[in-house]
Amino acid sequence: MRVGVFICHCGNNIAGTVDVARVAAEMRKLPGVVYATNYMYTCSEPGQEEIKQAIRKEGLDRIVVAACSPRMHENTFRKTIEKAGLNRYFLEMANIREHISWIGEDKELNTNKAIEAVKMAVAKVMNNKPLYSSSFKVNKRVLVIGGGVAGMQAALDCADGGLDVVLVEKSPSIGGMMSRLDKTFPTIDCSICILGPKMVDVVQHEKIKLYAYSEIDEIKGYVGNYQIKIRKKATYVDWSKCTGCGACMEKCPTRNAYDHFNFGVATTRAINIPFPQAIPKKAKIDPEFCRQFTKGKCGVCAKICPTGAINYEMKDEIVAEDVGAIIVATGYGLFDLDKFPEYGAGRYPDVITGIQYERILNASGPTSGHILRPSDQTEPKTVVFVSCAGSRDKSLGVPYCSNFCCMYIAKQAILTKDHIPDSQSYVFYMDIRSNGKGYDEFTRRAQEEYGAKYIRGRVAKIYPKGKKMVVRGADTLLGTQVEVEADLVVLATAVISAPGAAGMAEKLHISYDTFGFYVESHPKLRPVETNTSGVYLAGACQGPKDIPASVGQGSAAASKVLSLFSKDMLESDPAIAQVNINACVGCLKCVKTCPFQAIKEEVLRNGRKVAKVIETVCAGCGVCTSTCPCGAIQLQHFTDNQLLAEVNAICQS
Amino acid sequence: MSTEKVKEAIAKILPDVETVICYQQGFDGLHTTPLFIKIPEEINGLIWNPLCVQNLTSYLPSIKKKVGIVVKGCDSRTIVQYLQEGLIDREKIVIIGVPCTGVVSVKKVLREIGHQPVAGVAFDDNGNIVVKTSKGDRTLAIADVCPDKCATCQYPTPIVYDYLAGDPIKSDKPKESVHEDIRQFDEKTLEEKKAYWEKELEKCIRCYACRNACPMCICQDSCIAETREPHWISQKLSLTEKFMFHMIHAVHLAGRCVECGECERVCPMDIPVAKLKKKINTEMKELFNYEPGVDPDGKPPMYTFNVDEVKIKEHKL
Repeated sequence: MRVGVFICHCGNNIAGTVDVARVAAEMRKLPGVVYATNYMYTCSEPGQEEIKQAIRKEGLDRIVVAACSPRMHENTFRKTIEKAGLNRYFLEMANIREHISWIGEDKELNTNKAIEAVKMAVAKVMNNKPLYSSSFKVNKRVLVIGGGVAGMQAALDCADGGLDVVLVEKSPSIGGMMSRLDKTFPTIDCSICILGPKMVDVVQHEKIKLYAYSEIDEIKGYVGNYQIKIRKKATYVDWSKCTGCGACMEKCPTRNAYDHFNFGVATTRAINIPFPQAIPKKAKIDPEFCRQFTKGKCGVCAKICPTGAINYEMKDEIVAEDVGAIIVATGYGLFDLDKFPEYGAGRYPDVITGIQYERILNASGPTSGHILRPSDQTEPKTVVFVSCAGSRDKSLGVPYCSNFCCMYIAKQAILTKDHIPDSQSYVFYMDIRSNGKGYDEFTRRAQEEYGAKYIRGRVAKIYPKGKKMVVRGADTLLGTQVEVEADLVVLATAVISAPGAAGMAEKLHISYDTFGFYVESHPKLRPVETNTSGVYLAGACQGPKDIPASVGQGSAAASKVLSLFSKDMLESDPAIAQVNINACVGCLKCVKTCPFQAIKEEVLRNGRKVAKVIETVCAGCGVCTSTCPCGAIQLQHFTDNQLLAEVNAICQS
Repeated sequence: MSTEKVKEAIAKILPDVETVICYQQGFDGLHTTPLFIKIPEEINGLIWNPLCVQNLTSYLPSIKKKVGIVVKGCDSRTIVQYLQEGLIDREKIVIIGVPCTGVVSVKKVLREIGHQPVAGVAFDDNGNIVVKTSKGDRTLAIADVCPDKCATCQYPTPIVYDYLAGDPIKSDKPKESVHEDIRQFDEKTLEEKKAYWEKELEKCIRCYACRNACPMCICQDSCIAETREPHWISQKLSLTEKFMFHMIHAVHLAGRCVECGECERVCPMDIPVAKLKKKINTEMKELFNYEPGVDPDGKPPMYTFNVDEVKIKEHKL
């Protein structure tokens, strides 16, 4: 065995705090290592050339590159050694940058640690085996989860690119949060007027199959071949017959059903169509409010429906769809008022959230676009906006900025003045974050042309005084306490991950951060990819984002899917589990613990039961290998012996 | 007594099964050895007394044909665990359960009589064992020479059976007493525990008797302790390797050990190896509220993949 070791300086990134020459010199002493050198930038073209030259000249058959994280350049060097005639799995990388040079300042200690890390890689590479990938067919259909603006954009771009798209939306209509907004900043375009055409495009596109009021039940499979189970939730209305005429909604005797679309600003009927531009424009029954379900008798809608679409016996239906890639655009959620006891925790009707105010401003909202405060339906003359209600507050578990609140507060202040010219808006803020194109001009306009008074400081308490709400806070620029007697208070509540985001991530096998937002593959360079190949992200499910950013990501995710599907065959990763049937005792514990159902029981000709890995389904997670009591199942490229060799390399020296 | 009832039950099931696994007398009165009854004439060889200590269920996973077996309460837990893990087919096993008031630890008796040759053994009606040796008779209370597991036994009546030879008995021992020894041991400092295990495990001769006797050690000849692929431990006779072997044994039994005590019973070096497994069982109980070998429909926690475990907070959102 002839191992070559290449230590990268990475400019000063590594060489600054690691004595790379000494690491190389130490490696030369190891049995099996016949060549070790250090180089300024191993990933550069001359750096790679040096590896190829050394393989030829020195007859190297195993290569160790000590440089950055394998997440950065493992692929680069695999291709390099492959070009020089070695199997790509005869490469090991030692991460001496992120793991060592960047985190310690003591050169002596760093160098010692680097020597150990590279020793481990040498021990591992000497135990590596050549592995070969096989190729498999791709199903060129794409699933888009979430029919908000990001999901719709992704679906439309994929469909226009010739792909069959399955779009799943959990609420009764597509449109998402954007369909609830009144106007959009900074142009004050009517939100539904610009979104409506897109929604129509989606439903009219022959390549898009829409499942509204449906959820993802199960995701099985792997990139190129996913099997999806979609749960079509019972609407109790046969949508193939429903014409969306709304007669049922008019006659429904239950008037106090919670209005999800209006975020509870108003009530709706037990059978309802969420909003006039809903797509699909179909009615559905909320059984928790419907008298037919709660009391067992009513049946008004069934009598009134001209097409006989009502069916109280309807059950959830599971539909199967096969796709090759998935775009996740599940959007975001918002903090509830109950998180703010100092602001009344939802007890004061005239303290509302930004999205509720959005519905009050909206012409198709419960007040038909007249600003009327919820308590007594009068016009508020003094409106106070509180930004960062929850955001950037570690004590509430939201240390991050919610991204778009500063902008929509400015917009709502402008709209308030437009609707009620003799009104006065106050905005309590921490910082004004308006870094988009035309955004800063917009917030200035709110102050300079529309007279919104911006007070830098936080609100300590809101309490009622007669018909008014007293907002008490600090003005940190003046260093004084301020009190504003407001008619209406709007809280820009924090953006949080969508309800059930973590569960969805588990189904998709993608990672999510502590806040439930999905984690992209690389924060700078792979912003819409996930670490699960074939699954892409779009919109606010990855973090709070405004409309243009969400649309941009929708298109970006679509382009990723289109390029993935530009090939007919994909290469499989050979680093998967493999069963040594001679050692397998057939306890089948692995079958039960495999999170991917990638292992099944196989009966050999002599009647002995053993485990068998379904190669295309195995994701290489390694749960089975730690489960197997006798070590009969091994994850290729990460076998017990390979890992033990690494452990021995540092523990036995 | 029970012996007659066991014989009756065996006679009844014998035509339906290939063999019935039970006990016969061994090389002296103090030792018993397994008996495989295939024809009715062999039933007379059977004995049933507090010296029937072995856990015979270990034979079950490797037997393909339909068999009968005689079990005590503790042995039946192994069958339950086998069923949970899918290692045996309930249809192919006929279980004769015998309620048990406690067995005798041969090691303890031998220690009491100074390891003299045993001429004969008898039991009186007051719960005593009378051991005859050349130096005279020695009467010992069974309660004083029983294995530790009997002192806290919760399942004197088998949990699963097809025939019950005798009337069911309820345990009179408090449930908390089962893991009292572990709780007490846990109070030692880390250094004390380390010193304790170093002293105990240093004695190990790697004979693997504990592993071979363990009914839940299903790897048999593929045991990771003796393979090179993967090569977790070597044959070197060092404390590290001994420690590693016992750790592997204990971890492989996590949430599976039915606390039958066979490992400790067969250990020629008197190492308290069952304590390691018992310790893990207390953890499993705490984490997953799971007790091995108790509920035939139960699921061993280590045989599942759950993203969210109630007591493991890593996915709290």
